[in-house]
Order: sequence, then C-alpha cells, then structure tokens
Amino acid sequence: MKITFWGVRGSFPVSSPDVIRYGGNTPCIEVQTDDGTIVIDAGTGIRGLGKSLLARGVSHVDLLLSHAHWDHIQGFPHFEPLFHDDVSITVHSLRHPRHTLSSIFSEQQQESFYPVRLEDLKARITFVEHDDGEAFEVAGAHVVIRRLNHPGVAGGFRIEFGVRTFSYISDTDLNGECLLASDLPATPKIEDIDWLRRLRQSACDLGQSADLMVCDTFFLPDEYDSTWGHSRPDDFVEFATEAGAGTMCLFHHRPDRSDDEMDTIVDACRAKVKGDLRVLGANEGLEIDL
Amino acid sequence: MHVKLWGTRGSVPSPTSATTRYGGNTPCVSVRAADGKLLILDAGIGLYWLGGELLGNGFAEDGEAHVLITHTHWAHIQGLPFFQPMLIAACNIHLYGDGGDTPFREVLLRQMEHAYCPVPNFFEDHIGATLTTTQLNESSFRIGATTITPRRVNHTPGVPTHGFRLDNGKSSLAYIPDVEYLDDTHRRPALELADGVDLLIHDAHHTSAEYESRRGCGHCSDDIAVELAREARVGKILLFHHHPDHDDDVIDGVVSRYADIGFTVEGAAERTEHILDSS
Repeated sequence: MKITFWGVRGSFPVSSPDVIRYGGNTPCIEVQTDDGTIVIDAGTGIRGLGKSLLARGVSHVDLLLSHAHWDHIQGFPHFEPLFHDDVSITVHSLRHPRHTLSSIFSEQQQESFYPVRLEDLKARITFVEHDDGEAFEVAGAHVVIRRLNHPGVAGGFRIEFGVRTFSYISDTDLNGECLLASDLPATPKIEDIDWLRRLRQSACDLGQSADLMVCDTFFLPDEYDSTWGHSRPDDFVEFATEAGAGTMCLFHHRPDRSDDEMDTIVDACRAKVKGDLRVLGANEGLEIDL
Repeated sequence: MHVKLWGTRGSVPSPTSATTRYGGNTPCVSVRAADGKLLILDAGIGLYWLGGELLGNGFAEDGEAHVLITHTHWAHIQGLPFFQPMLIAACNIHLYGDGGDTPFREVLLRQMEHAYCPVPNFFEDHIGATLTTTQLNESSFRIGATTITPRRVNHTPGVPTHGFRLDNGKSSLAYIPDVEYLDDTHRRPALELADGVDLLIHDAHHTSAEYESRRGCGHCSDDIAVELAREARVGKILLFHHHPDHDDDVIDGVVSRYADIGFTVEGAAERTEHILDSS
C-alpha cells in the first residue's frame, strides 16, 4: 500500500508563502494498492491528483468520503477524470439522515454555484451509502467505515491490504463533548456520555495497531474549542500510543498555521512520545510506502 | 479610492509554490473610498485574509462593509463563511448580489447548510454582525459618495453575472472579473462600465493561445481584455481571474506582450495596492 498526500489543510484552502512546505490544499489522500486506487476525500488537493491519474492512465477510483463539509468535497468539480467518458468512480460515505450522497454532490454543482452540472459529467459515477461499522472491499483492500465525533455525520476509515493497515481518523474530537446533536440516528435514545464512549471506541477500532494513522491535530491547547469537533496533537499522541500505531501523521492543519509553526508542533510531539511511535507532519507530496 | 487585491485567482484556489507572486486565492478586492466607506468586490477566499487585516485595525468595534458580489459561483462566495467580522456583533455587513430565479439571500443560505458548513449560520441564528442582503438590478445606487453602477454581462447560463463601475467624480474603477464577448451586444455593457476609468480589473482567464478551444466557456483571454481596455480608453488594466493552472511565469509571459501600448497592463497580484486619487 502506498499513501500519497495531495491536500493536508483543514477548513479552507490557504494560498500564502507561509504554507508552501506543508501545503494549502484541503484534504485529499491517494491510497494505491496492488489492485487499484482509493482516494480519501475530495478537497482541492484532488485537482492535482486528477491530472496525475490521467497521466498514469488510471480509469477507476473508489472515493471514500469522510463527510460533506466543504473542505472535503470542494475539489470534486475540478477533478479532471470526471470529464472523461472512459472513467468510472464509486463514491462511498456514511448514510446521512437528511441528504442522499448523490444530492450532496449534485447540490454543489447546481447552476447557481458551478457551470457544469453533475449529470453532465462524462465519467460514470456511482454512489454507495454505508452504515456505521460496515465493511466493504475496494481495490482489493478491506475497508471499515466508522462514525466519529464531529458536527454532522462524519466518519473515518480503516483500510487493510495484505498485512498492512492504514487508518484515516481526521475531523474528530477524541476527548471533547458529544457533537452529534440533531444528526443522531433515530435509534434508541442514549445519553451523550455513552455516545462519547461509543465514538471513542469507534476511533480505537479504526486505529488499532495501524501501520500509519492520519490524525486530526487542528488545534493547539490554547485554541481548543470543544464545539468544533477537532483534536489537539497531545490527544493523538496518547491515542496512537494506546492503539499501538507505527506512525502517526499530523493532518488537517489549521489554515493560519505556518510552516515554521508546524515544524515546532511536530518536534513537540516527538518529544512527548514514549515508546516506538513515529511522528510525521503531513505535507503535500508526502509519499509513504507501507 | 484605495484598491487592494486579496484574491486574483479564478475557479478554484491554487495554492502552490509557483503561484505565490500573483496569488492563489479566489476573487476579492477591497476599495476604501475617499469618504472612508469600505466596499468589497466579491467574496472569494481572499475575503478571509481581508477580514484578518480589518480586525487588526479595529473593525470589531463598529466596522461597516458593503460587499458587492458579481455572481454566486463558488469562487466568488466561498470566503463568506470564513469572514470573521460576520461573527462579531458590532459589525454591519451589507451584501449585494443577484440570485436569478432564487432570492439572493437564499442562494447564500444554501452555502451555510449544516451538512456542508460547520460555521454557525450567521444569516439565521441571530448571532454576530447585523446583515442585510440586497437584490441587485441594473440601477445605479450610492454608497456614501461613491456611485455604483451594475451591468449584466455575459458569463455562463443559469447564473446572472454583473460587472460594476465605481465612480466618485474624482476617480473611477470598473470590475468585470467573469465575462465572455461572443458578439457586440456582449461588449456594450462592459464598454459602458469601463469607459474612461482609471483602473479596469478584467477577466483574463485564458491565454490568447488557449482561447479558441475554450470559446463559449464564459471567460476572456488577455488579448480580448486588453482590446476592450484600449477601446474604453482606461488608464490601467489589471488582468484578473487567472486560470488555476497558470503559474507566475505564465502570467509574466502574458503581461510582457503589452509593454508599449499606450496604457498600463499588469497582472493582478495579491496584496498589491492601487491608489486612484490622492484625496
């Protein structure tokens, strides 16, 4: 499994000389297995990936969408393979109680907002909605999707191929308040504290013994807001250590976080690690062969 | 008028190391009029950075801004949820635009829908700034001492698109970031907006070499923009709405072709300032 980072920035794309090394594009990660190509999230990083896929002649991808917040879908209309009729793409995400997955993408491409409608794209697009905890196979890999603690309906992924495991646990607050609120599924009512325990367990299930874990490290401690659904580096150093992960990768960088600040944060994480956990700061262009 | 460019890029933000000089943020231009009024042209991601500067200069105390939106394509509205003054109670923000068949405010509300946008919905939640939304038509109106003239221009189907002229009697600016001229009727409103202005900010999404294969997609090339500027007798034109694939060197190459044509042609570069009168 080879992991390539095409977009690492959270909230919105950042164009500034201060973020050149880590990068300003919103989330997009490519996962290549021996059998195919998986893409995680469709932030603006997917634009560069699209050009690369066309150059490499890749004609099918499975897109795993963590959630529908703008920074995770805004690159989709700019994904060039969609303009080719020999391309097919299957989009996977958690079922949303109020929006179908296809309506989330077609709304983004309404005429008011974008000149090309979803139904006018040439590629064959299939949408697959999953329930929390569902497992499925794509690109020869075994994937599990779990709901995480973030406003709205947001999930993370565990991807196993051969003996290797990659976990994507972005956009979640591991230790904050329960944020599911109005988007709670209509299952028996349980208390927030129990939801929090369940969501934490979901994150644990995704991350257990991962070779590489992508982590939400949006906040520094003095910026932390428990209503946003993002974690701090220390939350994930503790979590990844407990999970027995090989490498944790800081991700979903706050828009105003400069390259120099990122370097400092990565160093501080490394200093806190007890044991063998390796710490990386995700930057655009980073490739990791598992 | 004191004009500052916060976003110059078309279609989608293009943050790379090769776009740092002209910039990768989507359209946003601030205009501080001589009477102190703050006008903002378009609300692309550049608006986030303008918000930061405003708050650094005391805007949170009682700031007022008038945001004129040419059309509601993402690149021109996607900065609104991240404009920090929206969440500050003492601020007054006035938005002007055209939603076509849908009321303008409703189009903006769709961007704030909870499934897509975690930012509090400052339009409906009664938090933050006092907001007004005004449906634009082609009637001129005044903001302080500045007269604003909107004109419908040809862009893409399904989304009404305006250009603006700002005029205070001493200096004038025309802003036409998204336009294509397929015939003379399309040129007429743009010529009217740009007639004799000190500064024209104009769509130059494509290079002239690219244009033939992109005809009908709703944008101009540099040579078409410069020709319109010449005909309208403008003082200076900024080539704007750069294609996301055009790096700084491509834009330099385009601009270098217009060195000696009797008026100034520049590539619109983020964070540059253009002062149109000394008053």
